[in-house]
Amino acid sequence: MNRYPYRARRRTLLGGAGAAAALGMTAACGDDGPAGTADDPIELSFEWWGNDDRAEITRQAVDLFEEKNEGITVTTNFADFPDYWQTMTTRMAGQDLPDVFQMDYSRLLQFGGNGMLLPLDGLVDTSDFIEGFLDTGYVNGELVAVPVAGNTLGLVYRADWFEAAGVTLEPGYTWADYQKAMREVTENLAEDGKWGGGDFAGQYHFMELWLRQAGGSFYTEDGTALNFDKAQLVEWWSMNQDLAADGVVPDIGTTSQWEEGGLVLDALGSEIGWDNFMPWFAPAVAENGGTLALAAPPSQDPNNIGLYLKPSMQFVVGANTEHPDESAKLIDFLLTDPEAIAILGTNRGVPATNVGRDNVEVDEVSQQVLDYEASVEQYLASPPPPPPAATGSIEQKFAEVYEQVLFEELSAEDGADTFFTEAETLLASEQ
Amino acid sequence: MSASPSTAAEPESGTAGEPGAPPDRGARGAAKRRSPGIRGGERLAGYTFMIPWLIGTAVLTVGPMAWSLYLSFTDYHLIRGGDWIGFANYTAMFDDPMFARAVRVTIIYVVLAVPVKLVASLAVAMLLSQKRRGMGFYRAAFYMPSLIAMSVGIALIWKALFSNDGVQDSIMSSFGWDGGGFLGNPSVSILMLVILAVWSFGAPMVIFLAGLMQVPQELYEAADVDGAGKWKKFVHITLPMLSPVIFFNVLMETVGAFQVFGPAYIIGGEAGSPAWSTLFYTVRIYTLAFTDFRMGYASAYAWLLVVAVGIVTLIMFRAAKQLVFYAAEDK
Repeated sequence: MNRYPYRARRRTLLGGAGAAAALGMTAACGDDGPAGTADDPIELSFEWWGNDDRAEITRQAVDLFEEKNEGITVTTNFADFPDYWQTMTTRMAGQDLPDVFQMDYSRLLQFGGNGMLLPLDGLVDTSDFIEGFLDTGYVNGELVAVPVAGNTLGLVYRADWFEAAGVTLEPGYTWADYQKAMREVTENLAEDGKWGGGDFAGQYHFMELWLRQAGGSFYTEDGTALNFDKAQLVEWWSMNQDLAADGVVPDIGTTSQWEEGGLVLDALGSEIGWDNFMPWFAPAVAENGGTLALAAPPSQDPNNIGLYLKPSMQFVVGANTEHPDESAKLIDFLLTDPEAIAILGTNRGVPATNVGRDNVEVDEVSQQVLDYEASVEQYLASPPPPPPAATGSIEQKFAEVYEQVLFEELSAEDGADTFFTEAETLLASEQ
Repeated sequence: MSASPSTAAEPESGTAGEPGAPPDRGARGAAKRRSPGIRGGERLAGYTFMIPWLIGTAVLTVGPMAWSLYLSFTDYHLIRGGDWIGFANYTAMFDDPMFARAVRVTIIYVVLAVPVKLVASLAVAMLLSQKRRGMGFYRAAFYMPSLIAMSVGIALIWKALFSNDGVQDSIMSSFGWDGGGFLGNPSVSILMLVILAVWSFGAPMVIFLAGLMQVPQELYEAADVDGAGKWKKFVHITLPMLSPVIFFNVLMETVGAFQVFGPAYIIGGEAGSPAWSTLFYTVRIYTLAFTDFRMGYASAYAWLLVVAVGIVTLIMFRAAKQLVFYAAEDK
């Protein structure tokens, strides 16, 4: 009988015990350390988010690195984006981060601002990066991340479906134009399980774009508060109400069960998204007999489409690494070794280094991305400051609360109240 | 030790008859008083043997508990530390929309899962208490799910079973259901977890089974003589005789249900999808602590759960005084 109190306590202690266990992990250390020879190699860990395709070519590049650097072995690991960040944040708590890992701009401050990333100045070769790319790797004046590739937002759409519906998106088209286009494509398809596009209001990046187009921003300059009011959020979240009611976009009960993106599933005709996702979508779409095209996202103001060039992903070194030099060597190798670049291709985006651009084989899809980026170059504005440390959590809450609105658990107004409460608490907790 | 010479001498002294007996008894009594438990040296040995357990309890249970109680009065950030803020964490919960949701989801789960699971396990236990051929196999078969129910694999299978066009959707659709898979429908998604709990009724079933075996057969025989039917025997013999076991299971399952985490976390994720409908209290604690890094606030959440479960347990013990029948007390 006296088993329950014991069980009750043990479970509720998860929090505290986890912290204690995490501290214990940091104490784990071995002998005098490896010598870095073939018999006693230095072991690096390297982790990233991505899929099987990325895993395969990354493993090939890492094998080549091990071949060229006797005495270093690299263990690799990967997960999809949400799982990756769930484990990384937990491991950050335990100071158990990998030696080298992939970083996202929205998480940079959360890790870098808490001293979890090793300063890379003088460690990693920074001489070859294309101008402007390094700017987004600084936290508190220190370089803690180097860009792998750049990306920016765009509208990825099924050229074949749009053509069949006779819909064209002229440069400078508005959000309302885009909604009209989705409606026409959906109606023209007239097929169960296929839509002209999806509900885009659940992603905070897209609302940021929308705010930037009107000269605003998502966070205040110092990153301590939201820089918009509840009325704006309600307006943004109400934008697709009619479309959802008319079945122009799939309902939340359907999309919440999708394990993959709507474009890959042959279900959606368009999606606002990062342009470097094109190479991910293209093979699946081609398999379904479709063709993909890339256009600038809808805008409020044709002269200010709110775009900026963001690092699609960055490489960082965990502050607790025992092998900073070897870790830097791996990063250098992946970004500047011509053979490695040839293997990795454009899977992570078009490389951010000159030697990368010279040696990468640009296929048709990547060329589309490059052409697109060139076409919007004149509209690219300077990036906002790195988003606050709580951004990762705020991004999730943004999607979760909008889900409440879509399921009609909350009205858009109550949802805005809820989101503001959560976001303000999270921002305050990081001050 | 001192007793053994005297017992060894007994055969010879036995011829002396009764007079030899009292000192002998006295010697035995003295030996009892000096039994291992009360000797200083052996007491020390006992505690020595307990040291591993004591260390484990102090380091892994009592210490972290005290620490988390302290943290619950701070705004402790997992990386940056924090300061004492008194009861602010506890009062903040009243303005926390996700707290209310997590409490609601958890209570709905407890209220649905515990009774259904217990009724099902009692029913199956009664079937399995019969003497039939191959009963050992059936008992093992019904117990089996509880061994794997909390695993990641089963949670993933559950997701597949209850997705759109999954097994549940196809079966129910043929009866006119148009709500799709439970996985995408927030008004019924919690049923997935209730069904998972019911499916894994092995532990209470085995306890019920043991309890049923203990009920004296002569009570049923007497009832048969009086012409009682099956239902009467169940209500007037089985239930009262089983009531201590029922109480044990109710308590056990209730406390366990408040703390369900693994399957909920895998099926609904941190977001308790769809639409926070599987946002269990423990999932919320996990997200607060390890995603949002708000360890202080998460600790306050955890301690509130300790208090709540404690109160529920207390109420149950009070109620048990009225409802539970202990056969031994009547003797």
